[in-house]
Amino acid sequence: MFIDKSMTRKVITIRPEAGIIEAREKMDKHNIRHLPVVDEDNNVLGIISDRDIRSALPSVFSASLEEPAERERILGLTVGDVMTEDMITFTPHDTLTDALLMMHKTKKGAFPIVDWDGKLKGIISIRDLIRAFINVMGLDQPGTLLCLVAEDKVGQMKRIVDAITEEGISIGSILTARHWDEGKRAVFPYLLTVNVTRVKRKLQDMGYTLLDPMEWSLEGLPVI
Amino acid sequence: MRKTGFLYDERFLLHQTGPEHPESPERLLAIYRELEDADAGLLSRLIRIKARRAEQRWIEIVHSIKLIFRFEEACSWGMKELDHPDNKICRESFETAMLAVGGILDTVDLMMKGEIDNAFCAVRPPGHHAEVNRVMGFCYFNNVAIAARYLRDKWKVQRIGIVDFDVHHGNGTQNIFEDDPSVFYYSIHEHPSFAYPGTGREFEKGSGEGYGFTLNSPVLPGQGDTEYKGLLQRDLFAAFGWFKPEVILVSAGFDAHIDDDMSDIKLSTECFSWIMENIVGMADEYSSGRVISILEGGYAVDRLAELVRNHIEILLGD
Repeated sequence: MFIDKSMTRKVITIRPEAGIIEAREKMDKHNIRHLPVVDEDNNVLGIISDRDIRSALPSVFSASLEEPAERERILGLTVGDVMTEDMITFTPHDTLTDALLMMHKTKKGAFPIVDWDGKLKGIISIRDLIRAFINVMGLDQPGTLLCLVAEDKVGQMKRIVDAITEEGISIGSILTARHWDEGKRAVFPYLLTVNVTRVKRKLQDMGYTLLDPMEWSLEGLPVI
Repeated sequence: MRKTGFLYDERFLLHQTGPEHPESPERLLAIYRELEDADAGLLSRLIRIKARRAEQRWIEIVHSIKLIFRFEEACSWGMKELDHPDNKICRESFETAMLAVGGILDTVDLMMKGEIDNAFCAVRPPGHHAEVNRVMGFCYFNNVAIAARYLRDKWKVQRIGIVDFDVHHGNGTQNIFEDDPSVFYYSIHEHPSFAYPGTGREFEKGSGEGYGFTLNSPVLPGQGDTEYKGLLQRDLFAAFGWFKPEVILVSAGFDAHIDDDMSDIKLSTECFSWIMENIVGMADEYSSGRVISILEGGYAVDRLAELVRNHIEILLGD
């Protein structure tokens, strides 16, 4: 799960000397919220977000835009003036989870992806991560979710996966979670088939309980 | 008593899906036997319709030529499945699907000419998962979608309402009509976070000119009659109240029944009757009684037979 498989490669960029109004227009046109700022050699100098621009502009309720001097000052603001220079970047061989955790920690929406020489290779945004997550869960393929309860001991997943595989069913993903009963685990295989009757019966015969999904709720989980 | 058509043909049994496949010929056999055994000569009160091979151009009003050729070729080469292990085929599968569509088109003609009031089509294979260029979930040709386009092209029907109560969302039908405001697609089904195929969320409402002409009522696992009745009243009855379909088509799947272990929805036999009584009621109100109901899923064979008999008795009326 390396970033280079999920990042956006065709990056819309901007130069530091461009005006912030131009930057905003570029974001609107491409329906994006972040522009990496690069020089003529594609070296990354910073990143500018729609929020950086909004913060630099006076509120629409303030009258300051009417004043010629203030108007002049705003029109003169460049991307270089408001961009974040002290930015977080990743390389194409960092992982998606690196980016995910960093977004969670910093609340940033996108990071430029640069090679070892500091040249721009791509950008990874929340949207790219959402797409990757949908893909990892197999949600872009038709399937059925099973909800099972298993003993929390070694070898359970293998038995479950084997049983499903023996039925000739492809697995889109498997998520597991703590169960409210001590020593149990909830297992959620996402099966890429409509035909789940037999495999459900088989898993029940093997001793697994089919969880009623509606009994499964976060309130049921033990508090950490 | 209404004049109710009944499309059934022994050749629908020729689509063989192999042992242990839930979409089996036994489903139709059970339905037929149930109707034969029913009191009061139920079968003799129906207007029997036989299958006929559809002209390919009517398949093409919905499906790509590529899909049609691939399906035909796969069958003639003796392949055992098409694109996915769910879609088992045999040499006769293509012809069976062509016969099902042809029979449905004849049923449409009979109804539009006034020779029958409504009809039930006991066909295989089912259709509502099939997309323009994709077979899936036991479905090859989208029977109900072809019927809707045929009503528009041949009979110039302006507003067609489709009700899909199969427990799985009819992704194919939705996909085909999502930008078409002349076809209102309504589906009630088990919530897509749990059930196949993973579409049919409440926020899927159509697109472009068809926005607002697709409506989905997902139902959480374990729920049953109360939730279904509430959602149908809130969503379907209200929608057809303003849309006023000139013809109603039904994707009739019976796999939401409590005894059908294909799903986690727990509908009673009575609730299926309640649903159909209301659909027939809406047809009386908006579409001069015109309803064509087409079989989709339903895999608890004995239960399926009983549910279909009730369904047909409701179409017949008193």
